[in-house]
Amino acid sequence: MSDPIIVRVFDIVGGPLCVSTEDGQHVHDKIAPLLRDGRKVVLSFEQVDTLISAFLNAAIGQLYGEFPEDRIRELVSVRDLDEEDTAVLKRVVENAKAYFKAPKKFDQAWKEEVGDEE
Amino acid sequence: MIHYLPTIYSNQEGYERLAELAMATVKLRADRLELDFSHVGFFDANMASPLGAVLARVADQFSAVEIVNVPELIERVLRKNGFLIQYRYQPLEDANRTTIPFRRLQRTDEGLFEDFLQRHLRGKGIPRMSEGLGKVFKQKIFEVFQNAVIHSESELGIFVCGQFFPQKQRLDLTIADAGIGIRESVRRYFNNPKIASVPAIRWALQEGHTTKKDKQPGGLGLKFLQDFVRLNTGRIHIVSRFGFYEFNGGKEAFANIAGDYPGTAVTIEVNTADTAAYRLAMEVSHKGIF
Repeated sequence: MSDPIIVRVFDIVGGPLCVSTEDGQHVHDKIAPLLRDGRKVVLSFEQVDTLISAFLNAAIGQLYGEFPEDRIRELVSVRDLDEEDTAVLKRVVENAKAYFKAPKKFDQAWKEEVGDEE
Repeated sequence: MIHYLPTIYSNQEGYERLAELAMATVKLRADRLELDFSHVGFFDANMASPLGAVLARVADQFSAVEIVNVPELIERVLRKNGFLIQYRYQPLEDANRTTIPFRRLQRTDEGLFEDFLQRHLRGKGIPRMSEGLGKVFKQKIFEVFQNAVIHSESELGIFVCGQFFPQKQRLDLTIADAGIGIRESVRRYFNNPKIASVPAIRWALQEGHTTKKDKQPGGLGLKFLQDFVRLNTGRIHIVSRFGFYEFNGGKEAFANIAGDYPGTAVTIEVNTADTAAYRLAMEVSHKGIF
């Protein structure tokens, strides 16, 4: 078994600010092929200063639409993430699992009130 | 045309008055707007953001904007935060460092926005805010900014302004755009042109609800903001088109506003004296994430 590959988020994004969907997509595009090859990936958030859900949805959340949960659990790990950001990532992961398990739930017909007075 | 702006508080009524201004000027093209402040008894400084968004629309239709008869105390505030500078007033030094200056940013300006927050939220800007709170607050501000980037389609940019109240230990920050509004995003998502503003905002606030259609999960940003504000005993206002939302003391309230505010504005009021530690969920080990 080969050594895990350390993916430094700071290096991919080119700075400490991890907020945009585009930057999250870059990170996703780096790690998805590694996972497809069955490589273990360690995501390092060293030097990352600001991390938000829009970034993490693109970087990590969408992996749940491409790989089984247990495969992600087996291959992906994180480090250099403080408690607060770990909690944010956990919520992103839970939300992504729910989204891909039941996409219809988020894609249902409009059932609430309508009004054309506006 | 001449428009007399009334008193503008950072509340539902304040947005109704700005919506009136927007509606009064909607057909103005290659003309002139004289915005007369002589009837303004008070102006909450953070409301310079949504006012800036409304006036940017007027200017975008080739009309010149002039702001006149600003009462002295209000003029001082709006020169200190830089809002009036774009209307040819002289800058005034913010000696007490209580303002988060008015800035107009493009949707791609997240780096500039970071610098801006770094400079004005930390240290000299907001001396009483602990470093931990500052970090979490900045994160939530970026969630709001990024929502505007992703959803607003605001070609005129994103408008930011804030005010710190040392006595009350409160900081109000408003991020406004001149975009399509939450209603339009939700209408397009459901392909239903009759969805009204308030139910659209209510839908968008639900965890996991997102109008993104690119197979990416989303819909967490506003939820995180609510969680933060609940713990911090702060406050949120969201105004979008005909809808108004307030989150205060853990309670939500929705209302229709009497007018069409052209875009979306989000105000966060943070309790800067708060020293609580922030955990948005139960303690999570790195092993339990996936």
